[in-house]
Amino acid sequence: MGDENRGREQILARIRAAMGTAAPAQKAAANEKIIVRIENPLKRFRAECAANNTECLVRPDWAGCGNALGELLGEIPEGEIFVQEAPLLRRAIAKSSETRAIRWSSQGQLSESSPAAVTLARVLVAESGSVLVSTACGGRAASVATPVHIVLAETRQLVPDLGTALAAIRQHGELFANSSFSLITGSSRTADIEKILVLGAHGPRRLVVLLSEQSE
Amino acid sequence: MSAASRQFFQDATAKAVDVELREIVRRGIDHYDLVVGRGKARFADWEAARQRCHEIRREAINHLDRYLLEFEQRVRDRGGHVFWAETAEEARKYVLDLAASAGVRTVVKSKSMVAEEIHLNGALESRGIKVWETDLGEFIVQLRREPPFHIVTPAMHLTREQIAKLFREKLGGVEAEDPPSLVAVARRALRRAFFSAEMGITGANFLVADSGMIAITSNEGNARLCASLPRIHVAIVGIEKVVPRLEDLAILWPVLATAGTGQPITCYNTLVGGPRAPGEVDGPEEFHVVLLDNGRTRLLADVEQREALHCIRCGACLNACPVFRSIGGHAYGTVYSGPIGSVIMPHLGGLGAYQHLSYASSLCGACTEVCPVKIDLHRHLLQNRRNAVEESLRPLSEKIGMRLWQWAMLDAGRFRRLAWAVRMAMRLAYGMRLEGTALDPARAWTKNRAAPPIPRHSFRAMWRKTRGG
Amino acid sequence: MRKVALFIPCFVDQLLPQVGLDTARVLERLGFETWFPDEQTCCGQPAFNSGYWQLARPLAERFARVFACADAVVCPSGSCTTMVRHFYPELLAGTREFAQAKSLSARVYEFSEFLTDIAQVTDVGATFPHKVAIHDACHALRELGIREGPRQLLRGVQGLELVEMTHSEECCGFGGTFAAKFAMISATMGATKAENAESSGAEYLTSTDPSCLLHIDGILRRRHSPVRTIHLAGILARTDSAGSETRATK
Repeated sequence: MGDENRGREQILARIRAAMGTAAPAQKAAANEKIIVRIENPLKRFRAECAANNTECLVRPDWAGCGNALGELLGEIPEGEIFVQEAPLLRRAIAKSSETRAIRWSSQGQLSESSPAAVTLARVLVAESGSVLVSTACGGRAASVATPVHIVLAETRQLVPDLGTALAAIRQHGELFANSSFSLITGSSRTADIEKILVLGAHGPRRLVVLLSEQSE
Repeated sequence: MSAASRQFFQDATAKAVDVELREIVRRGIDHYDLVVGRGKARFADWEAARQRCHEIRREAINHLDRYLLEFEQRVRDRGGHVFWAETAEEARKYVLDLAASAGVRTVVKSKSMVAEEIHLNGALESRGIKVWETDLGEFIVQLRREPPFHIVTPAMHLTREQIAKLFREKLGGVEAEDPPSLVAVARRALRRAFFSAEMGITGANFLVADSGMIAITSNEGNARLCASLPRIHVAIVGIEKVVPRLEDLAILWPVLATAGTGQPITCYNTLVGGPRAPGEVDGPEEFHVVLLDNGRTRLLADVEQREALHCIRCGACLNACPVFRSIGGHAYGTVYSGPIGSVIMPHLGGLGAYQHLSYASSLCGACTEVCPVKIDLHRHLLQNRRNAVEESLRPLSEKIGMRLWQWAMLDAGRFRRLAWAVRMAMRLAYGMRLEGTALDPARAWTKNRAAPPIPRHSFRAMWRKTRGG
Repeated sequence: MRKVALFIPCFVDQLLPQVGLDTARVLERLGFETWFPDEQTCCGQPAFNSGYWQLARPLAERFARVFACADAVVCPSGSCTTMVRHFYPELLAGTREFAQAKSLSARVYEFSEFLTDIAQVTDVGATFPHKVAIHDACHALRELGIREGPRQLLRGVQGLELVEMTHSEECCGFGGTFAAKFAMISATMGATKAENAESSGAEYLTSTDPSCLLHIDGILRRRHSPVRTIHLAGILARTDSAGSETRATK
């Protein structure tokens, strides 16, 4: 593309010239308490999931999640399941992989006809009933390109609010080690036709969170 | 009168009497009002949320060069490219050259007002590149070959029957006319495009300076697919979209969702910085951010109106505006319509050409009331009017009329006598049944409204008579 | 303060004199002494709103002088009150008249807010046995914060049934010169307001702002609507013949 980008210097010069006139003084900062305080994150998370059409299943441990996963995969139509390459998921999916075709993220990108994807998550956010994933969770397409997305996580990953979630990915260089993060809240949807809400657009129609109370 | 002004007058007049359109728009907005009301109630303090968002944006706009440079550096550190485009043409050229050198034949595109602003689609198509709009509303208006009706819900002016007919004609495979079935038709049509396109083009809602990432908000998931599957991802973004810190999104995302659609938060809020990082499973090989000026620095230089750059493109002002509710988005004839469009178009496209939009308002202030980043929109419309007068852009007849009116008002006796004369003339004219006819001096009023009864005596005359002055 | 100066907007003076008379009558019933500084003409809002600030300035200066010695100025119009209270200090910033403008802006009141906030009454001894809906005029609502006051006053009127119309807060479409410059849009906005008034079941539509009422009335009459318009002062000035004026407090 060439390094010639004259516009860059022009724009910067215009910005600096424009700001030569100082902006008028601003009033004092606003009230801290903008978001309602969250007393019980798990309870809030489950309530928000119910509202945004995320299926949230809580199990005592990862083995329980593995069983639930097996049942879920039984409901998925024929086709290759795309799974994030991770030891936890290798274990969780062990039984199901006997009967279903599995493509691991280490084997390459998922296929267009894949009916479901299984991934881990970075954090779960109680405030909005959201799941935060990074590219380390099976890549970019895994959490958006199939009709069903199944997330395996533990309650230890639950944080109360968005601010905490975003602060979490700053740590240990994670923010710069991943090229993308997505905060996922419920089924994909659109209201573009007569402003009527339709669930299931281009992203997954079904989002399931299998939550283990015990940490691995 | 500029050409744009003449066209607007014609279109607005035509749309104003389109009762069916008004009904559809009205229904959509009434629903919006209901859900947004609930959405605001979720905040402990909605006003404080607005103030915080205003401050975040203000900080960014007032140090734009610093934050843009920080953003650029961090994107480059991630292996991405940043191109600064002063004009629409420069931005288009960059994308076209990129597409040409990469042998791009198909583009999937998610919603971007900036891409509309620079007329990107037409330019790509003229080079033989197929462009798929993947946002459902944009996909629909693209098939209809018309511009978006509203910045957030581009097809809100259409009924399901109209959309079904359109899909039948252009796509086939339409079995039912209910919204879910129609969405399924669109999804099928677009899925192949996502998986085969060489280039994905998106806009961005925010540029996060300290992280070197763009933030894209969508409900459908189409933007994520555009940024995940094609080999090249290009994001075209206005320079004013920058925010200082990642944590700023913790309040901006919920506020944008609430004001935009009444949701607590949009389904997908995605951060993208750079092409696929080493070791990643998938993702584009190339990532380009095109930063667009196109008149934004002109707005930045206007100290009074600089805050209009705070806009997060939520569409709330359009929904609140009684003029928008009456004529819809197409009548404005501009990429950015509604109150925010009326405020900024003079800065982006010239006051002479676009001053009329600032006059096509009753200055009711509903826009200012709802703006989640507290832009004093109706005040800026008035300032545009004042600027138009000071730059001598107003019609001579108006200037003369105002001057005469002021002269009459500067002296009580003069005002009394002249007003009496006008009143008597009106009484005479209406006594001769001229009301509503071509000879009616108040035709501008009586074309659509009954004239008020013209009193024989003014208040002051009656007061003097009964109270003696 | 017992003496109030009447600020009668220019178009009320010429086209709706009854609104001015009703305003005075209500104030007097409550024990205030009213006077009309007859040097007043116009506050300058039409010029100001059209962007002709240079032309509006001399009118603002003049107005401030005319009302310089009034302790309280009462005006039966939210938009005109807003002009003086909010825009005069801005318009006259940096001029010799700024101090006078600032002082005046603290002494000027819209009619309903004078009653509820200064006179502190909500029952003015009025009788008006009809179903009434309110149109919330934009300046009064958004610039002066007036919404509950007129409703309280109407609830204090004997026999009056207050009904709420949908979108009572939506602009009626008058907007000053907007009504002439963009007549079709203005008419459409007015038609929406008229439809909402009709479906509320009200017999009368009232408001703090006579300019809105002129416009809405014109639309209603063109439609041969059963709804009639009346200014708030017109309702509050009405009493029954049995002399219920004694009901007024103070």
